[in-house]
Amino acid sequence: MIRLFDRAPDYVRRFERYVPSRPDPELMRQYGVSHLYRLNNNENALGPPPAAREAIAAFAPGRAALYPSGDAYDLRQALAARFGKSPEQFLAGNGSCEVISAIIRAFCGPGDAIVTADKTFAVYEWVAKFSGIEARLVPLVRQALDPDAMLAAVTENAKIVFVCNPNNPTGSWWDKAALERFLVRLGGRALVVLDEAYREFLDDPDFPDSMKIMERHDNLLVFRTFSKMYGLAGLRVGYLCGSEEAVDMVRRTHIAYSVNALGQVAAAAALENDADHIAATRAMVEDAGRFLRGVFDAMGLEHLGGAGNFIMVRTPVSDTLLYRRLMMKGVMARTMTGFRYPNWIRVSLAREEAMEAFASALRGALDVP
Amino acid sequence: MPGELSVLMEIPKDAAFACPAANVAQTLAERSGFDRRESYRFQLTVEEFILCLIGVIQEGDGLRVILTGKRHLLRAAFAFRAAELSLGGLNSAVRDVVRSAGEPPRDLGLLLAAASADRYNLEHQGGDRFRIVAEVDRRYPEPPPVHAPQNLQPPYRIVRHPDAARLTQAAALAVNAYPAWQSPGCFQTPEKFADLADAGEIACVLALDAAEQTAGLLTWSPCSDQALYFSGPFLFTSGTDRDDVARLLLDGFLEAVAREPHAIVLSVRATADLLPGYFEPLGFLQSCAGTVCEQRPVVFRHLREDAGMAAWCSPRIEDFLRRSYAGLAMTRDILPVEEPGGAARRESLLGATLDRWRDLAELRPFLDGQDMAANLTAHVKAIREKGINTILYYMDLSRPWDAALAGDLIRSGFSPKLVLPYGGQSDMVVWQHDQTV
Ligand SMILES: Cc1ncc(COP(=O)(O)O)c(C=O)c1O
Repeated sequence: MIRLFDRAPDYVRRFERYVPSRPDPELMRQYGVSHLYRLNNNENALGPPPAAREAIAAFAPGRAALYPSGDAYDLRQALAARFGKSPEQFLAGNGSCEVISAIIRAFCGPGDAIVTADKTFAVYEWVAKFSGIEARLVPLVRQALDPDAMLAAVTENAKIVFVCNPNNPTGSWWDKAALERFLVRLGGRALVVLDEAYREFLDDPDFPDSMKIMERHDNLLVFRTFSKMYGLAGLRVGYLCGSEEAVDMVRRTHIAYSVNALGQVAAAAALENDADHIAATRAMVEDAGRFLRGVFDAMGLEHLGGAGNFIMVRTPVSDTLLYRRLMMKGVMARTMTGFRYPNWIRVSLAREEAMEAFASALRGALDVP
Repeated sequence: MPGELSVLMEIPKDAAFACPAANVAQTLAERSGFDRRESYRFQLTVEEFILCLIGVIQEGDGLRVILTGKRHLLRAAFAFRAAELSLGGLNSAVRDVVRSAGEPPRDLGLLLAAASADRYNLEHQGGDRFRIVAEVDRRYPEPPPVHAPQNLQPPYRIVRHPDAARLTQAAALAVNAYPAWQSPGCFQTPEKFADLADAGEIACVLALDAAEQTAGLLTWSPCSDQALYFSGPFLFTSGTDRDDVARLLLDGFLEAVAREPHAIVLSVRATADLLPGYFEPLGFLQSCAGTVCEQRPVVFRHLREDAGMAAWCSPRIEDFLRRSYAGLAMTRDILPVEEPGGAARRESLLGATLDRWRDLAELRPFLDGQDMAANLTAHVKAIREKGINTILYYMDLSRPWDAALAGDLIRSGFSPKLVLPYGGQSDMVVWQHDQTV
């Protein structure tokens, strides 16, 4: 009798499943706390922008019985209007993570590889591995993605380069010049996928305008998400933008109807008059960053941050132990061992109350008065 | 030298097949490049196990034997089904060591087999299915002397897949610089270490200095589905560079295993060069050699965010468990189990792994039974007779009947030493048989 385990392909058997954290009430019960500050997922503490809130409130429950638009028609119109592109250049997914999967399915076959960094968002590597595609991991240099080494890793069977820009968890980013040089030297040998999940947190003229650059480089694909700046993580909406030809390819390997109706209307609404929301979020993130850097400096802890609503700090004890100690004080941070940064944690930059709770929990957990 | 060689045999319940099967074992050993002595031990192991197991399996059933020749060892795996009633025969093989005359031959057979192999392991695969694995190690030549590298200079860097010559040299350096118990057994014959690394059975990170001299080493290998066991860090630098090299090795190790399937890493032989803050102390195990006993620290590190879980617990060790979990800052729902009032089965079954090299016997319960305390005592006696000092018992807290055996363990002279989170299916209590010298 063949065991069930042996029926799965080798690369699936070797893959370690991701275990998400338990729901808050369960965690609070386990750790014996009456409040939990979730600072592990880089969510927006301000929530969705007002227009999205209204759209959610106006969503008639009866609509839940109907299938949504199978290809997020209205949302793509809204994105096209926003970025001055054709709706055919957009593909919406159930979170941008779903789109990562579709891109790899579309462009990689047996024997192919993707190139990405060793210390970056894990999903590119995971999807490649559990699909039987080689994930070629290029070490960071000075805590940033190294364009030269990534170029060198693009051999014939490397079909996609994933560049997390800005990079989660280091906050480092390639500027206009770095990206342009990379694209020119790559010369279309592979697709370049920019993950701009944290793009909206940046207001720097040197940050590449990928929506423009893709007009000159049709091997450039960009994805963004409504989970971070737009505060809609719970509704799971992300999108891909690229040349019509590239997006058409990805659409073939993407399951239609994967974005729910409420998510579609909330995301489209979130784009309306979003300037105030973005400004308020950036201000919150900046204040929180300043506050935490002060806390870490005072404790003599090395920290690392840049763009994005998160900061990393190096811990004098194992990050997985510190995680448990912080949980006992009602604060949830992200351990960084899984990002190949052992003894670092990453903390989302949020409202003052949460930041103070974290600072006090950290001092308590490390026995600092 | 050929790669791995393997032979699969389905043997009927008929003792006449033991001898030809042993001949196959001999041929495999020869073809795998083993010398006469190892070949003979392997042959004996296979023949004796088959004779013994044929007495245990049911009428009409067969025995599946897989013989494997690797560079560093010969392995015989026996898979079979045994109805509950005949299981006693397996255990008594160990139990009967101390018996003098009149024991049934099949028990003696298993005993002999255990004596010819370097280690063996009995696994319960569920229901009435079992597997025994016995291994005979290759004899490697004594290592030639090595000289410690001089004037190591920064910058240091690490490599993940050094070549065999480098591995051999690093292992020899480690043996020279550290007490023997801190090294994996294979370091004593460094060529074996290189073979194991080549076969993927042991992984490492190695540090080089600016001039490509060997500056440090750290090794690891899986010890369960969830756990990796590491050795080191071994440092060959002096002065202030030591911490830098240690940090490179530790970070390199953890980065290498961070996205792999294992949940924890642990060691009972970490060197004093382990940097503070990387690992959590779990407690101590006692190790005795001759008349001297020492307490060896056990260190552990979770690779993931702890999700919490339930742990079954006997009132006999509840205080110990609660104290251990509090020290670890781990939340567990402690679920009480009662002492087994009267186990349904008469005969208990223990799995045993004996490793002469490491002076270690490890016991795991497969089936509960009324005779558990007596069975434990018999095992301890038999193991001690074999000259093995360290006897550990692993209790998996995911199984209520297993957790309920605390009383039997205490009665048989074991004490709970530490809780190893994710050491088994869930957390594991490591018990040690108390030894007085
Ligand atoms: C870099 C990066 N990309 C993508 C995502 C996933 O976003 P989504 O919620 O759209 O799947 C995240 C979320 O943490 C992220 O950090």
